[in-house]
Amino acid sequence: MNFMPATMDLNMAKVPENHYVVVHPLDDVEEQKVDTSTLGPMPMTTSVKVSLIALRGYLVLMVLLVFYHVMDLAGVFGKH
Amino acid sequence: MQGKVIAISTAGIGTPTEAPVVRGKIVRSKWARNLLTFLMVFGPGLIVMEADNDAGAVSTYVQAGAQYGTKLLWLLLLLLPTCYFIQEMVVRLGIATGKGHAAMIYQRFGKWWGLFSLFDLEAVNFLTLVTEFAAIALAVSHMGISPYLGVPVAAVGLTLMVLTGSYLRWERITVFLCLLDLAWLVIAFRLRPGLGGLVHDTLVPGVPVGGITSSLMFLVIAIVGTTIAPWQLFFQQSCIADKRLRFADLTWARLDTFLGAVFTIVVAACMMIAGNAALVHGINFADPAQMANDLRPFVGEVIRLGILLLMINAAVLGTTAISLSSAWAYGEVRGWPHSLQMPVKKAKGFYATYIACVAAAAAIVLIPRAPLQLIILGVQVLAGIILPSAIIFLQLLLNDKELLGEKYVNQQWNNWVNWTIIVVLFALSLILAAQVVAPNLFPSV
Repeated sequence: MNFMPATMDLNMAKVPENHYVVVHPLDDVEEQKVDTSTLGPMPMTTSVKVSLIALRGYLVLMVLLVFYHVMDLAGVFGKH
Repeated sequence: MQGKVIAISTAGIGTPTEAPVVRGKIVRSKWARNLLTFLMVFGPGLIVMEADNDAGAVSTYVQAGAQYGTKLLWLLLLLLPTCYFIQEMVVRLGIATGKGHAAMIYQRFGKWWGLFSLFDLEAVNFLTLVTEFAAIALAVSHMGISPYLGVPVAAVGLTLMVLTGSYLRWERITVFLCLLDLAWLVIAFRLRPGLGGLVHDTLVPGVPVGGITSSLMFLVIAIVGTTIAPWQLFFQQSCIADKRLRFADLTWARLDTFLGAVFTIVVAACMMIAGNAALVHGINFADPAQMANDLRPFVGEVIRLGILLLMINAAVLGTTAISLSSAWAYGEVRGWPHSLQMPVKKAKGFYATYIACVAAAAAIVLIPRAPLQLIILGVQVLAGIILPSAIIFLQLLLNDKELLGEKYVNQQWNNWVNWTIIVVLFALSLILAAQVVAPNLFPSV
């Protein structure tokens, strides 16, 4: 017994009253999304820009620290 | 989309008088319509969450169980809303823009930040892929199969999964692999400690016996790093864009993400319970495969094989999702066609990136014998460090009214929750930094 209704090409004018049509996103007509083509870079205040640059420095530093820690655990520095 | 007879709300479909022809299913009740719509939308949320229970996660959760029993279960409970809130933002961004995360960062923060984020993502992803194949090599060798056979077979299988030119085919295979992880529940049930202790350790946060030590902090950061990973942000947004989820699917995509979060946390807890068995039987933990072998006299051959096979499954799931996040992100930034719906000849760069990631990681594993456990922990800590900055970009994008309009931007409570998460994640990474700079900050035992 098949519990799942079959997928078929449906003429919307012929769909019976009080029935629902469910269309898979990939079978659906592509919908209009937010138009991003006209948008350039996000406007940012100086403080946000400085914060992001500080974040970049922080990330570089942390990556180096993790690398050092892993090397240390691996015994590269002769402690283990 | 769903609609009642001709009141269909599908975008682009004409007015009723045009009598459009659509490819869909007819159901009679609203309940059936909702269920069917959910099943059609279902996938990206479960996959992004469960694929995060990859080989590294298996190793980390099992190690947590082997070292501290079930005492860290409460941490998983805390991570459940955390991973949901973060991924829910990704869902909104993906549905509203129909574009991937890398493309959005590139467009809204400029080329410099775009490349920086992309480099971070690709580097951590690649290292993670190496650990996935290292886990496959380890598991197959414990099953008596040569890694020189097992690893290439896995790599070929992972490649074939995406080459069908159908997003749906890939999604169905991957969802099936996710559901195989239900076997962790069976293993946890067989190895379960007392129910009272489990409930207590899940609901009452506490520090394991021995107090706050260096290894405990490292493990906690690794657990956070493995439960919420940077690639997830990129993966789910690209996945939603590739599946072409619609505005009306938002509720169902949120439900998919929530159920995925619950599923992945439950499975993670089961892994911790499995690790607890090693602690109970006095087994020294080296890696999950070794633990499975050592547990055999106590729990039997079926459980041993089950853990090994689930390790491979976790690695396969992680590999396909992480490689795809790399390929989608790279394709978006380069402006290449990048869809699983496309045949290979129409998206050569996208598929080549995926295959290159899989092949290079598999090849590296077959050359040297690296200390798996150390690499896995290191990668997860690295992911834990990169995550807060990735979430900051997400947070800025979700407050971008010019991009999303009033309807899809974060509400104030969203921002409070997310900034709290970011502060906690930064605090954890600072603890790690302090621990590295001052190794005696916490007791070593």
